[in-house]
Amino acid sequence: MSEEAALAGIRVVDAAGSIATAYCGKLFADHGAAVVNAEPPEGFATRREAPFLPGAPAPENSALHAWLSTNKASAVVESAADIRDLAREAQVVLDDGRFDCEHFSALAPNVVVSTVTWFGRTGPYADYQGTDGVVQSLIGMVRGIGTEEGPPILPAGCQAQIVGGLAAYIGTLGQVIAREIGNASGPVRLDTSILEANLCFTEVGGVGGHRSGRRVRRMGVNRYPPTYPLGIYPCRDGWLGVTALTPSQWKSFCALLDMQEFADVPQYQSAVGRLQDADVLDPLIHERVREQSATELFNRGQGARIPLALVPTMEQLFTVDQYVARRAFDEVRPPGQEGFVAPVTPFRLFRTPATRGGDVAPLGSMVPTPVEPPRSLRA
Amino acid sequence: MSRPSLLEGVRVVDLSMGWAGPLAARHLADMGADVIKVEGCVRFDWWRGWEATQEWIDEGGAEMSPAFNMVNRNKRDLTLDLSTLEGADLLLRLVAISDVVVENYSAGVLPKLGLDYPVLAKANPEIVMISMPAFGSSGPWQGYRAYGSTVEQASGLPHQSGEESMPPTMIHVALGDSVGGLNGAAALLTALRARRRTGKGQHLDLSQSECLFPLGIKGILTQSVTGSPPQRLGNRSLEHAPHGVYPCAGDDEWIVIQVRSEAEWKAFEAASGIGGFGDVADRLARREELDDAVRAFTSAQVVELLMPELQEAGVPAARLAGGLELTTDPHLAARGFWKMMQREYVGELPHPAPPYRVGEAPFDIDRPAPTLGQHNFEVLSEVLGLKADEIAALAEKGVIGTKPRLP
Repeated sequence: MSEEAALAGIRVVDAAGSIATAYCGKLFADHGAAVVNAEPPEGFATRREAPFLPGAPAPENSALHAWLSTNKASAVVESAADIRDLAREAQVVLDDGRFDCEHFSALAPNVVVSTVTWFGRTGPYADYQGTDGVVQSLIGMVRGIGTEEGPPILPAGCQAQIVGGLAAYIGTLGQVIAREIGNASGPVRLDTSILEANLCFTEVGGVGGHRSGRRVRRMGVNRYPPTYPLGIYPCRDGWLGVTALTPSQWKSFCALLDMQEFADVPQYQSAVGRLQDADVLDPLIHERVREQSATELFNRGQGARIPLALVPTMEQLFTVDQYVARRAFDEVRPPGQEGFVAPVTPFRLFRTPATRGGDVAPLGSMVPTPVEPPRSLRA
Repeated sequence: MSRPSLLEGVRVVDLSMGWAGPLAARHLADMGADVIKVEGCVRFDWWRGWEATQEWIDEGGAEMSPAFNMVNRNKRDLTLDLSTLEGADLLLRLVAISDVVVENYSAGVLPKLGLDYPVLAKANPEIVMISMPAFGSSGPWQGYRAYGSTVEQASGLPHQSGEESMPPTMIHVALGDSVGGLNGAAALLTALRARRRTGKGQHLDLSQSECLFPLGIKGILTQSVTGSPPQRLGNRSLEHAPHGVYPCAGDDEWIVIQVRSEAEWKAFEAASGIGGFGDVADRLARREELDDAVRAFTSAQVVELLMPELQEAGVPAARLAGGLELTTDPHLAARGFWKMMQREYVGELPHPAPPYRVGEAPFDIDRPAPTLGQHNFEVLSEVLGLKADEIAALAEKGVIGTKPRLP
């Protein structure tokens, strides 16, 4: 990491090791902060998360943990006091609610103890059990996914936790900067709720529901108001993603698919008007794209300023020319294992770039140095 | 109460429109930055409305959009016609005394106006500027158009959710926007920290489609390390059961239940009275039978009661809320998550708090979204030092204004 790294000089200790805190810490680490995973002897829970590296021994076999841990150190801690030693002079301690600010503040007087939990530290759900699906259900996202008759579909993976970690990074870095520029001082405990972070997806719908008194109803797979056409259609060589929102996009889309008879229909000049006739229009769109090449339609459509997409499979994703040209993937190197390809940090700073991919430290490879407590903390 | 002053002294010029860019700037505004949204009377933020007619303008349509109101609170609004020499010059003067520029125009728009990064950086070498094109500012797709939906499609994420029998399944009407906005805020803060260290501004490039890769990380890594795509499992889990979305009493009422351990299974077994199933291996082997039993149990339950009952027993469970329940959710209400604010044209609207807070109260929100050109006089006089007659002349020429105009 160059001297010019954006976050050089910031020390971060992850004392929680959840996917959310680990992603928050990853953004710090990839941009040059000194981040230490303060792990229990068996390692963070992320080490037991799939997918696993074929043939690799535990506890270094989780690809997810490796991706989350690039450019960080790992220390084994046995007690809260060990974590405090590790956190001396830290600007940030990532926490899941176990610690009080005072635990660290004497050693690091401007410390930001950044607590990331499913529901936040207060409120009736504070002690509830959280999962990605629970959060996505409570924010109103799941209700809209899937067939009309149901059941609604849960999004795959750990998306809610990643969003929570990203929100925590924003809040935490804001606090660090405020301390550096003199807009804030002293220790602080920041409370990030994964539930509230994910409400960014549905806050608009929440306000809409508040005003209209209506609830979200599923309209079918890939059908979401107020936009139509919107969806993913099979072509002869892959999948084409379609969105046409404005009247001019609709007209261009009709021209692209040789459907000019629908271009000027007054009802179809609004997305909502088209949505009302989706069951009429959809079979036609399917028929028109079925025998065509998705790539060709994509390029011709984009040439006509229609927001179309190629929808790559997971296998195709790594070879999409756009992502190859931008080097959107790079190598993560877990200890003692062959490296694997994974996404790099998604935002690019041209002058102070993030580290791309990176090494993963073995569990406990950093030995924390005990620190003499300040006079004020001695018995 | 007032907004926190964490970023007091930081001035942001927000040229962005729609959802992602304005959301990025909103996070900075919520932390106390002075965010000045710059739009035109002809080229106004398209989230005010994308099907503008004169009737819509006359009825105040440009001020009614809940979506626009949601992402532009805590900001001031200045109209400038950037296609005029006066408008472009005023923007350059504003950038010269600002810290951040946020833009998400289609590629080519700012260069055509003579206002791209090299020009703005000449006006202010310390400026931090983020461009947020859908696919990034390089590569063969750099000029391609997209919405949040297009970005989700292009990220490959739809190949992870849903059943194998379904087409690739999108999970939102505009997933890329919110995630792009959060990443935009993260990028801007990172660059502000870099500027503090180096004294230098810089240009940031954010590809909204790449921002979705971390959300699909489990599936992407499965492909990367095993050479095979992740299975599309619908609501099932390969490791746990019961795990799914189950119907409750009433019209389209559902509950998610995701048992992750034997302790949680024991708690669920006791709460539901479902018997006859063994350890997780047995439950996975007899998943359909188990799901039938869970459905039979939940179908007779009222979801508002079942969720707390299961949660208090230690079982991860939640009702599937709809738009209507978000602003009445008891937890969010207890945490003061929604703040009701009055605004011209729309009356009282709820505004969501930032997802991070210090102490029990959320960060306060000072002001609702501005009306078009609401702060023209304030910004032009107080920030740029224009005299009243100069401002009146700008209005006369149509460089500034407070009502949308059709092209």
